[in-house]
Amino acid sequence: MENHQRLLEQLMTTHGGPGFEGAVRDVVVPQLHTYAHKVEVDVMGNVVACIEGRGEGRRPRVLLAAHMDEIALVVARIEEGGFLRVAQTGGFDPRTLVGQEVVVHTCGGDLLAVVGSKPPHLTAPEERGKAAPLSDLYLDLAMQESAVRERVRIGDRVTLSREVYLLRNRRLAGKSLDNRASLAILLETLHRLGQFVHQADVYAVATVQEEVGLRGAQTVGFAVQPDVAIAIDVTFGAFPGQAADESFALDAGPAISFGPNLHRKVFQRLVDVAERHRIPYQIELSQTPVGADANAFQVAGPGLAAALVGIPIRYMHTSVETGSYSDIEQCARLLAHYIAELDMEQVEDLSCY
Amino acid sequence: MLLKTLSEAFGPTGFEDEVRNVIRGELEGRVDEMKTDVLGNLIAVKGAAKPGPKVMLDAHMDEVGLMVVQICDGGADAGLLKFRSLGGIDPRVLVSKPVFIGPDRIPGVIGAKPVHLQAPEERQKPIPMEKLYIDIGAKDAADAKSVVKPGDAAVFATRYAEFGERAAKGKSFDDRVGCALLVEAMRHEVPYPLYGAFTVQEEIGLRGARAAAYQIQPDIAIALEGTVCFDVVGAPSHGQSTVLGKGPALTVQDAQTIADRRFAEFMWETAQRHGIPVQWRRVKGGSNDFGAIHRIGKGVVGGSISVPVRYIHAPTQVVSLDDVENAQRLLQAVLKEIAEGSFTL
Amino acid sequence: MKEWIVRLAGEIAPSGSEGRIASVLLDAVQDLADETHMDALGNAIATKHGDGPHVMIAAHMDEPGVMVIDIDDNGYLRVIPTGGLTASETAFRQVTFTNGTIGLVCLEDGEKRPEQFDQLYIDIGAKHRQEAESRAFIGLSGVIGGSVTEVGNGRLLGRALDNRVGCAIALQAFRDLAQRGLHVSVVFTAQNAPGARAAQAAAFALEPDLAIVVDATPASDVPGGKRTALQLGAGPAFKVMDAGTVAPLAVKQLVEDTAHALGITLQYEVWPSGRSDTGAIQLTRAGILAAGISYPVHTAGAAEAMVDLADVEATLRLLVASVQAYRK
Repeated sequence: MENHQRLLEQLMTTHGGPGFEGAVRDVVVPQLHTYAHKVEVDVMGNVVACIEGRGEGRRPRVLLAAHMDEIALVVARIEEGGFLRVAQTGGFDPRTLVGQEVVVHTCGGDLLAVVGSKPPHLTAPEERGKAAPLSDLYLDLAMQESAVRERVRIGDRVTLSREVYLLRNRRLAGKSLDNRASLAILLETLHRLGQFVHQADVYAVATVQEEVGLRGAQTVGFAVQPDVAIAIDVTFGAFPGQAADESFALDAGPAISFGPNLHRKVFQRLVDVAERHRIPYQIELSQTPVGADANAFQVAGPGLAAALVGIPIRYMHTSVETGSYSDIEQCARLLAHYIAELDMEQVEDLSCY
Repeated sequence: MLLKTLSEAFGPTGFEDEVRNVIRGELEGRVDEMKTDVLGNLIAVKGAAKPGPKVMLDAHMDEVGLMVVQICDGGADAGLLKFRSLGGIDPRVLVSKPVFIGPDRIPGVIGAKPVHLQAPEERQKPIPMEKLYIDIGAKDAADAKSVVKPGDAAVFATRYAEFGERAAKGKSFDDRVGCALLVEAMRHEVPYPLYGAFTVQEEIGLRGARAAAYQIQPDIAIALEGTVCFDVVGAPSHGQSTVLGKGPALTVQDAQTIADRRFAEFMWETAQRHGIPVQWRRVKGGSNDFGAIHRIGKGVVGGSISVPVRYIHAPTQVVSLDDVENAQRLLQAVLKEIAEGSFTL
Repeated sequence: MKEWIVRLAGEIAPSGSEGRIASVLLDAVQDLADETHMDALGNAIATKHGDGPHVMIAAHMDEPGVMVIDIDDNGYLRVIPTGGLTASETAFRQVTFTNGTIGLVCLEDGEKRPEQFDQLYIDIGAKHRQEAESRAFIGLSGVIGGSVTEVGNGRLLGRALDNRVGCAIALQAFRDLAQRGLHVSVVFTAQNAPGARAAQAAAFALEPDLAIVVDATPASDVPGGKRTALQLGAGPAFKVMDAGTVAPLAVKQLVEDTAHALGITLQYEVWPSGRSDTGAIQLTRAGILAAGISYPVHTAGAAEAMVDLADVEATLRLLVASVQAYRK
C-alpha cells in the first residue's frame, strides 16, 4: 500500500458525531484488522486493536489513540413550517454555519438540509454587524412540516456536508480533518511499524465522544491502563492574528506537546526520536490540562504517562479544515520510531522522579 | 527551618522536582517506603501491613507560577520573554515583581510602561498578562535563548521571613504549609497503615491527588491545605473565610466538596477535647485535593485541615505561626483519636 | 404512587444531608433486598440477586438547598447554595433547616436586586448571636419551598418533586423487578444537585451491566419555552443527550421498542445544559451501559416543580418493562 490518503478522504466524508460514530467505526475496523489480529469494540464504542510486541516476560504497553467523532449538531426542536432548531454537540462557531449544507441523520436515512440565512436585500445594516447565535439559526429541509415530523425526531444528529478538496502541496481541505487526520496517522504508524521489530504491545485505539468531553478516553484509559498513552489530535495551523505560541506552520512537521499534564520523559523521548531520525517537529506548550484525550488519559485509574502529538490544521471546527498529508506521514514516522524503540527500561524510568 | 525551605523551593505546577527532593530528604529513613508514581506524586508509607483503617494524608507540592512561552526577537521587545500563568494568578499582582526562571533561578523582573507614559484611561485598567514581559537583562533574543527556552517555568522570587507577631511571609504557603505538616506527621508512629501523599498538579485541577488516591484506595483521607483568609479592613464576617491566628480551619462546603458532616464534627470535637483553637472555613469558593479524593473508587470518608493564608496565590503570602502549630497539634490529635477508635467508619 | 411521592417529598434532604431520607427509602425495600447499605458519599444502595444481567436503577434523592456559613453578632445567618439555587429564587422565601429551624431569607437593606448570596441574610427571629447559635450552626443545611399539593388534572405541585418522584418510581420498579426474580439494584444517589458527585461511587461498587437513571427534565410547553421540545403530560422522555451524556443507541432502541410494545408515547429529551447522574455512571471504570428515562416537569432543578401523575405512571411502566426486555 502506498499510503492511506484515499482512506482519509473517505473518512472525511463519512459522518460520525459524538455518540454515533458507527459509520466511521465501520471504515476503521477493517483497516485495523489488516494490522491486528484482535480488534474489539467496548461498551462506549471505542475501538481497541492490539498488536503484540516481541519478547518474553513483561513488555511495554503503549496506547495510541485518535478520536473518531467530529463536531455535530442535534435536532432540539421542530418549529412551525418544519424548520429545525439545533443544539451543539461539540464546539461550532455559529458564524461558520450560516449558509452551510448539512446532513440530518434520521432513522429512515440521511436528509440534506441548508442552514438558512436572510438575503442581504432584507437585512438592515445594523443587523449585518451582528453574529447570529445558534439559537437563531434554523435548518431548512425544504419539506412540509408534516413530512418533517414524520421523518425527523428530536435527538437526530446533524453533521456538515462537505466534499474533500485537494489543494496544492498535498494539502487537503474539508470537514472533520479534526480528527480523521489522526486516524490516518494511526494507520500510517501501524503500516510503518510493520517494518520494525518492536517489544511494545501496541493498543491502537479509535476513541468516541472526544468533542463533548474526552469521554471515550476516560473509560478506555481505565480499561487498558497502558504504560504510555499517546493521544493524536490536531492543533492550530499558523494564521494571521493568532498568538505565536498557538500557531504552528503547515508542512513543518507534527507538534509535540509539553506541559504540566503531559509526561516530560515521553515528551523528551519523542523530541529525541525526531532529532535522531531527522523528522521535522514543532513544540506546543500548554499551561493547563490539554483539550485532548491525553488530558483524560493522565488521570485514568492510577494515573498514566500521557503524551500528545498531532499535525497543525487551519480553520479548526469549520467545514474547510486544511492540513498537509506530508505532516501526517512525518507524524507517523515519529510515532513508529518511538514505539519501535520503547523498552522496559524506559517504562520503569517513567516513575522515577 | 522546614517551612522556610519548602516555601522558597521551586515547584510550579508540573515542575515540582525541587520540593519533592526536599521532602524526600526530610523523610529518608523515617518511613517504611517512599515511591514516586508516573505523575510525579511522592507517596510515603508507614505500616502498610498493620490492621485498622488505611489513612491517607495529602498535601500538594505544586504552586502557581508562570511559563515562558516566547522569546521575543522583534524591535523594542528583543530579548524580553512572553509568559502565561501556570495555575490561577490574578494578572494585577504581577506588575513590579521579581521572578526566578527554572531551578537554576535565572532572575528576571516583570515591569510595565511607566505611569507617566500611560494615558489616563489606561491607568484605570489592569494590565493584561499578554502585555507583560519578563526581563532577564538579555541584550537580544539570542542572548536570552542562551539561558532560557520556551516551556521553562518561573516562580515569584519571594523570601521567607518571620515578621509582626508570630507571623511569617513568603510565597506558596499554599500548600508548602501542608507539606510541612505532612512531613512532620509522617515522622510519628500510628498503629494503622498511614500513607502520606505529596501530590502534583493541584493548581490545575486536583490531578495528582486523584491518581494517588486511586492507587492508595484509603478508608479515610485528610487533605492538609493553605486556605483563603481575608480578615482585613472592610471585610465583613461572612466575607473573611477565615481569621488569621484563630486556629486551623475545617470545611463545611467548598467548590468541590460538601463535607462529610460526621468526620468534620469528629475533628471539631477532637480540637475541643484537646484544647486546640479551631474555626470553620466560611466561604464556598476554592477547593483542595479532598475534592478529588472523596470521589475515588467507592467513595472516601474524610475532610481537610486548612491553615489560613492571607493573599493566597499572590507573590507574598502571610500565615500565623500559631495557626501552623495548632494545625499540627490538631492533625496529631485526630490521628491519635482515630487510633483510639473515636471515629468509626 | 401518589402517597409515596407525597411522603418522600415531605423529607428535607439538601445535598450532603440525605441521611434521613436514605433510611426511609432503604426501609421501604428492606423486605425484598438481599443487601442494603449506605456508602461513604451518602448513597443508599439495595441489591436483589437474581436471574439475568445486573441492572442498576438510580434516582437522586437530594434537592438543592442552602447551607449556613456565618452567624453574626445580631443573630443573623449567612448562607451559600448547595446545588443550583440562585440568590434571586431564594430571596424573600421561608427556609426550613434540617433541624427544624425556620427563617426568612432577606435582602440586605438598600440592595435592589438579589444577585449574589453575599447580599442575602436569614432572619430566624434570634435577638443575638448566642440565641442564633442555639438554633443554627455553621454547616447546617436547609431548603426552600412549600409542601406538595394536588392542583387538579392529576398534577402535583411542590418542593422536591424533582426528584422524589424519581425516587418513588425507582423504589416501585425495584420492588416489582425484585419480585420477578431479576438481578437488580436500586441506588438512591446523594449529592446530585452540586454536580452528580456521588453516583459514580455507587456504579463503581456495583459494576452493573446496565444502569437506568430516573430524573426530571424541563418541559417547554410554557411561555417562552425553548429549553427542550418536551410537554408535560405527554409521557416519559428518553434522554438522548444532556450536558453529561449521549445515550448509547442500543439502549435507545431497547426503550423505543418497549414503549412501542406498551403503547406508550415516548418523548425525546435533548437538554444541552442539563445534568443528571447518567453521564457520571456511564463513565465509571471501563464504561457502563447507561441511559436516562425522564419524566417531564415544569421547572426542573429548582426548589419546586409540577408533575403529571400520568407521566409518572407511564415512566414506571416503561422502566420496568425496559429492564425486563434487556438481555446482555
